[in-house]
Amino acid sequence: MNDSWLKKNTFHYSEFTDISRLVEEKKKKNILISLCLPTLNEEKTIAKEIVIMKSELMTRHPLLDEIVVIDSGSKDNTLEIAKSFGADVYEASSILPNLEQFKGKGENLWKALYVTKGDIIVYIDADIKNIHHRFVYGLIAPLLLFDNIKYTKAFYDRPIAIGKSKIRPTGGGRVTELVIRPLFSLFFPELTQILQPLSGEYAGFREIFEKIPFPIGYGVETSMILDICEKWGLDVMAQVDLERRIHRNQDTKALGKMAFVILKTFFNRIEKLELIDLKKDIFSEMIQYNLVKDRIKPDKLEIECFERPPIETIPEYREKFNIG
Amino acid sequence: MFMNNYLEKLPSFVDTIESIKETIIANIVLIGQIPAPTFKEKRRAGIFMDRLAECRVDECTTDGYRNPIGIVRGTSSSKPPIFLIAHIDTIFARDVDHNFIVEENSITGPGVTDNSVGVGVLLSLPEILRKLKVRFQSDLVLAGVIQSIGKGNLRGVRHLVKTWPTPIRGAVCIEGIELGRLNYYSDGMVRCEVECNISALNGVKHKFKPNAILVLNEVINQILKLRLPQRPRARVIIGKVAGGFKHGDIALESTLGFEIQSDSDKMVKLIFNDIKDIIEAISHEYEVELTFKTISNLKASTLTYNHPLVKSTRKVMKELEINPAGGPCESELSIFLSRKIPAITLGITNGENHHQKNAQVKIDPMFKGIAQIIGVIMAIDSGVCDE
Repeated sequence: MNDSWLKKNTFHYSEFTDISRLVEEKKKKNILISLCLPTLNEEKTIAKEIVIMKSELMTRHPLLDEIVVIDSGSKDNTLEIAKSFGADVYEASSILPNLEQFKGKGENLWKALYVTKGDIIVYIDADIKNIHHRFVYGLIAPLLLFDNIKYTKAFYDRPIAIGKSKIRPTGGGRVTELVIRPLFSLFFPELTQILQPLSGEYAGFREIFEKIPFPIGYGVETSMILDICEKWGLDVMAQVDLERRIHRNQDTKALGKMAFVILKTFFNRIEKLELIDLKKDIFSEMIQYNLVKDRIKPDKLEIECFERPPIETIPEYREKFNIG
Repeated sequence: MFMNNYLEKLPSFVDTIESIKETIIANIVLIGQIPAPTFKEKRRAGIFMDRLAECRVDECTTDGYRNPIGIVRGTSSSKPPIFLIAHIDTIFARDVDHNFIVEENSITGPGVTDNSVGVGVLLSLPEILRKLKVRFQSDLVLAGVIQSIGKGNLRGVRHLVKTWPTPIRGAVCIEGIELGRLNYYSDGMVRCEVECNISALNGVKHKFKPNAILVLNEVINQILKLRLPQRPRARVIIGKVAGGFKHGDIALESTLGFEIQSDSDKMVKLIFNDIKDIIEAISHEYEVELTFKTISNLKASTLTYNHPLVKSTRKVMKELEINPAGGPCESELSIFLSRKIPAITLGITNGENHHQKNAQVKIDPMFKGIAQIIGVIMAIDSGVCDE
């Protein structure tokens, strides 16, 4: 495997701390940049993300043109808090309401394409405890500074918050190491150079995002990488080391469900690419087991892996963005 | 006349300050999330400098003690500078999770009350002054002082004030909480620690091994028996106790921390000597070694209630409908006052769970608290400290 991409297209955010230069480049290229935060019950972290991005990347350095929150139906105060700090807030169900409704992160990201105005869209998870504006300018910078790069993805040293106030120095990325990396190694060895393909922070040009399908749930990160690589090649992608990201830890069962969706998305893609030939349809039920009063009971969950088509195929989108 | 001119402007300042609340909150969060236990403030001091440089202050430097400092140049080269001070060290260790939570009207996290809000506001002042279109005759020295708390013994601010090359016109010390605090005097104070360590003793010396906790308990009982005068005011605060290993084992180590406070330095010294005698007597009686250490001290110093700075500050507070609450303050204030530099300490907002990991401050009152700081700087700049 040729690992030249890793050397050529891997950056560290500290290479881009001159934000004024990025703003100049943005002005020169006459483009708009949108930040999208997909949310579901994020009242503990959303305000901090908005406040820091607004202060540092809108007021101090006019790099961002808008901060948009797309919510999947939070039951807590996420929406009120986001509004009170000046973000543009949408409930996903209110965007393109005539279409069939789904719930999931991928759905929010896809619908964000319809409501945002940016030529570049930055997607950042809303549960980052140690949010810093480097998460955003670090992803934007290669897009502004290198004409061949159209999509950037974050990677981290990922400590996980444990207990109430202690931090474990390493860890995380279990689904990446146990599911995605083996699959990439088997089918797309060059993609193993993407160190954290499942990281929830990435940015790219609208012209890329509008041309690819979006799985509505956890599969969105995997499919995005496979689709971009297939359509435009690995060289349009770059990865940026954002150093530390502190996030909520998920239990093994939750990660199992995530792995289920990712595997299904992956199989779907490699079948389309005719890399494998499945002789029958694969199932859509994740079966896990619980021990309840000395009895083993199955815990079944139907997980449909719907996908939104490339948004440029949606008439409302074509009309709004004047696509002939 | 001039005083009234700016007093009238203050209420309108509150809304203007609120209009850049994201900048202020971001500064509080970004500086507060960097751990800075006393003596280990280097990283936070670095961020302090970076943020000041980004705010385009006229000068950004550190003094010989590595206190980070920003200078906003005034219009007159002949007026001495006005100091704005906030200590940057905290009581929390590095491994404590310092990530803050911001909600609609609150910020929660370790050290937010003491003193991330103070430091964050200090860092926001250049931007706030630009927004308010306010300039002063005096230079403003924005200093985040290190090594303030506990064993730091205010070393940072002591060095800063002692070595500053010019006279200082006046100073405002900024603390996170509580809005309304107006400290203009500091008591004389000695902060002491007593350590009892039985394990260091020869095992055959005692028929019954003494318990280190009970020995210090006796020290506390004897201190409590001291008859302290009403005038001059004096008190002993028992603030910290630690000791022992297991529920079922006799404690071999214990530590007691306390402060003697009085508005008379002489009285502090008298009480200190009394306690020293108590400790010597108990050490002899129990045949244990008690180590008695002074870890910091301050001299009593004060402005009068009618000092023009205190009077002007009360007027500023009244204009902003803030109720002033007095009391002594054993902090950076005392260093300025002991050098005859008029100074006060002000709080920015209301809060709770002070000094706990879930300390919390309210966002809304902050804007009034900041307007009050601007008002006081205006008062000093108009000459209230020059008499």
